[in-house]
Amino acid sequence: MPAAASISVVVVDDQQTMRSLVRTGLQQLGFKDIREAGDGEAGLRQVLTGTTHLVISDFNMPKLDGLGLLRAIRSHEPIRGTAFIMLTGRADKELVQRAVQFGVNNYLVKPFTVAQLKEKIEAVFGPLT
Amino acid sequence: MDPMAEIKATFFQECEEQLVELESGLLAMDAGDDSSETVNAVFRAVHSVKGGAGAFGLDDLVHFAHVFETTLDEVRAGRLAATAEVVKPMLRAADILADLVRAARDGGFVDPARCETSSAELKKITGIEDTAAADDDGMDGLVFQPMQVALPPIGDAPASGAPDLDIAALLAAAQPEPEPAPAEPGGWTLTFKPKAELYKKANETVLLLRELARLGDVEVELDASELPLLPHLDPEGSYLSWNIKVRGPAPEGDIREVFDFVESDCDLTVAPIGAEGEDASGLSADDVAAIASAEAELDIAALISRAQGGIAETSEPVGQSSEQQPAPVIAPAPAAPVAAAPAPAPAAAAPPEGREAKAAAAAATIRVDLDRVDRVIDLVGELVINQAMLAQRVTEAGMARASSVAVGLDELEQLTREIQDSVMAMRAQPVKSVFQRMPRLVREVAAVVGKQVRLVTDGEGTEVDKTVIERLTDPLTHMIRNAIDHGLESPEKRIAAGKNPEGVVRLSALHRSGRIVIEVADDGGGINRERVKNIAIEKGLIAADAALTDEEIDNLIFLPGFSTAATISDISGRGVGMDVVKRSIQELGGRISISSRPGLGSTFTMSLPLTLAVLDGMVVTAGQQTLVAPLTAIVETLQPRRADVSNLGDGARVISIRGSYVPLVDVGLSLGYRSEPLDAEQGVALLIEGEGGRRAVLLVDAIQGQRQVVIKSLEANYRRVPGIAAATILGDGRVALILDIDALVAASRGTEAPRMLQAG
Repeated sequence: MPAAASISVVVVDDQQTMRSLVRTGLQQLGFKDIREAGDGEAGLRQVLTGTTHLVISDFNMPKLDGLGLLRAIRSHEPIRGTAFIMLTGRADKELVQRAVQFGVNNYLVKPFTVAQLKEKIEAVFGPLT
Repeated sequence: MDPMAEIKATFFQECEEQLVELESGLLAMDAGDDSSETVNAVFRAVHSVKGGAGAFGLDDLVHFAHVFETTLDEVRAGRLAATAEVVKPMLRAADILADLVRAARDGGFVDPARCETSSAELKKITGIEDTAAADDDGMDGLVFQPMQVALPPIGDAPASGAPDLDIAALLAAAQPEPEPAPAEPGGWTLTFKPKAELYKKANETVLLLRELARLGDVEVELDASELPLLPHLDPEGSYLSWNIKVRGPAPEGDIREVFDFVESDCDLTVAPIGAEGEDASGLSADDVAAIASAEAELDIAALISRAQGGIAETSEPVGQSSEQQPAPVIAPAPAAPVAAAPAPAPAAAAPPEGREAKAAAAAATIRVDLDRVDRVIDLVGELVINQAMLAQRVTEAGMARASSVAVGLDELEQLTREIQDSVMAMRAQPVKSVFQRMPRLVREVAAVVGKQVRLVTDGEGTEVDKTVIERLTDPLTHMIRNAIDHGLESPEKRIAAGKNPEGVVRLSALHRSGRIVIEVADDGGGINRERVKNIAIEKGLIAADAALTDEEIDNLIFLPGFSTAATISDISGRGVGMDVVKRSIQELGGRISISSRPGLGSTFTMSLPLTLAVLDGMVVTAGQQTLVAPLTAIVETLQPRRADVSNLGDGARVISIRGSYVPLVDVGLSLGYRSEPLDAEQGVALLIEGEGGRRAVLLVDAIQGQRQVVIKSLEANYRRVPGIAAATILGDGRVALILDIDALVAASRGTEAPRMLQAG
């Protein structure tokens, strides 16, 4: 039963709109430590340079895309235990399947509600307190 | 603002960016660019609009974007070729998407029939009838791993000790699965390091590189690592070297021949590609070594852009490249090959320039509400006025120019100006945003009138105030329509005249003496002066026996009520004539002129101020009133002698300046400040040049001085006054009117109703 406030999150999306929406949702769920990155590369830096328990990342981004970010995280011992939730624009099974191969922990289809966000995070970490 | 409203505002701002991206991408595709980078950017734009729209429940937008996205996805996946039959409907769809976004933002409304037609068109292309936008559950059978995360308290040390090295290695690990490398076409790897002598003998490296490019597919990488800091730089030294790959069947002899004349003045190595430790993954030994030696000295940015270089090159899959073994992944992942042992570390090469420049251009911007910028501009305007008032008080107090207060004030003035310039620069934007709307317009108009047109644009990066840009769209649109509809001839006529059947419309922008000059030129038949004159006579705009110069005839098209279109086509004839164009340009403080050569085409030249907020002005007195004349219009000031002035009767006067006669405008009299003409010898004359180089002399009582004034719109605060462009507040707090030079010049020529002035 992890407390939301004890989980630090990095939100990666090239759209400020989407980052703000995820951030607002997370804040409503009690998350406190939320960092943002505008592309996969910046996301990777964020994960490497600060404690990160969860990455919520868009798939389609310029530079390093979501799948690339996931692979990078999973291939590096010190951070491979970081949970990863993929944001997708539509229920693209093929894409999610590939992400599963690389060890994604869950996915979230845009647009999402705060309840859906909570559900997906809880599917990864167990019920939030 | 509540957080959702704020996010929504961000969303609409981002939408605008996406829409620009979308259109320019589609236009690139239309021009034959089908690179995955472009298609992906276009897809991402629509995708992002849809994603955000969904979050705000903008269903119309979501549905339309969804159909659009589906089409783009087909193109992206290579199932659909980006032919004109596919791209043109998408361009139309992009228009509708833009309208939908704006409708959602401003509460407007888009004709559902238009959306439906476009949707149907797209669906027909893909053959995909309807994919439910929200079939959330196609994910059965996928098993997600819950995370057994031990959550350490926040604030623990970062998980990784050496992030610099990690990023490089990880980015390499993040590459797409290596596909079988395509067979190398063969070629040569060169290192080329000129000595100072090479330059002394007036050789140009760029010419050599260009020559090389003729021999095959060339990849050039500049190595600037030996470039010293400026103080240590010998301007005649040689610090740059190049790593070059020439792919293709060219023999070594041909490659070396390029360097024939400079061989003794440079260090050159030529080796077959692959022989330099380049492994099958496409990473050169240099790359591997650079990554491996990252800990030693390389900065992270260089590594990232190096690794990124590999990502973009899909034709050249990049494999595992570091000594670091990838950690096992949680779920099965394709095993990546481990690179061969790295070669000895050479000097780090600079990252490919283009990419870096691009990245740098995209970085470091912040979004600021325009209102805030305008507030600052307003305040700086007040500051300028305040500073001027202060300066005046100091002068009035009789302080010496050399006194410390006066000197300090001078410095303050300098600073104020700099602040003003910097703030103005914040509102400046490249004209690109207007220019890039034109290609579509040209295509559409050309299709309707059945002409072949090529649009050439130049100077898109030229910056000007945002308001000027916004208000430039309509006049430019109209002028381009005109250029195609009236300016260019039909292909048959062009061929008959020995011209290329394809007409050229050139749109260019440049900065010239503190203004922006925009030209719309066509290579059509030029103005048909005979016809223009006849129409003007017919419409009673000029007398039947009026003797007009060619230039005057050309300028008739700017008169209200003039339209040359014999039939009102649905392109130009929308009841908007060149007079409206001229007025909108004038409202921006700009001028427009035309020059035309029969058989060769016409050029419309607009000159606009870079900012609408300040003006360098000459403060003058006319009939007890203080007025401001824009400095840019003043050619010279002179003390008239009575002998130089001649009366033409009817109250009109001319003044002789170095042998040529120029109309004299008595400003006090024209504006009704006095009833009797001013004796020329009692006043001061300002020789001014208005639109199209037409000159006149303004006669005023006295000159007070020169200063920068903050423009306050008269129209916004009072009403439009003929002969007056705007108002300002002077250093002593008085309001002064700013003269409308063009109106005064026109009045002096009698071409533009002097009665208009008297009415004011």
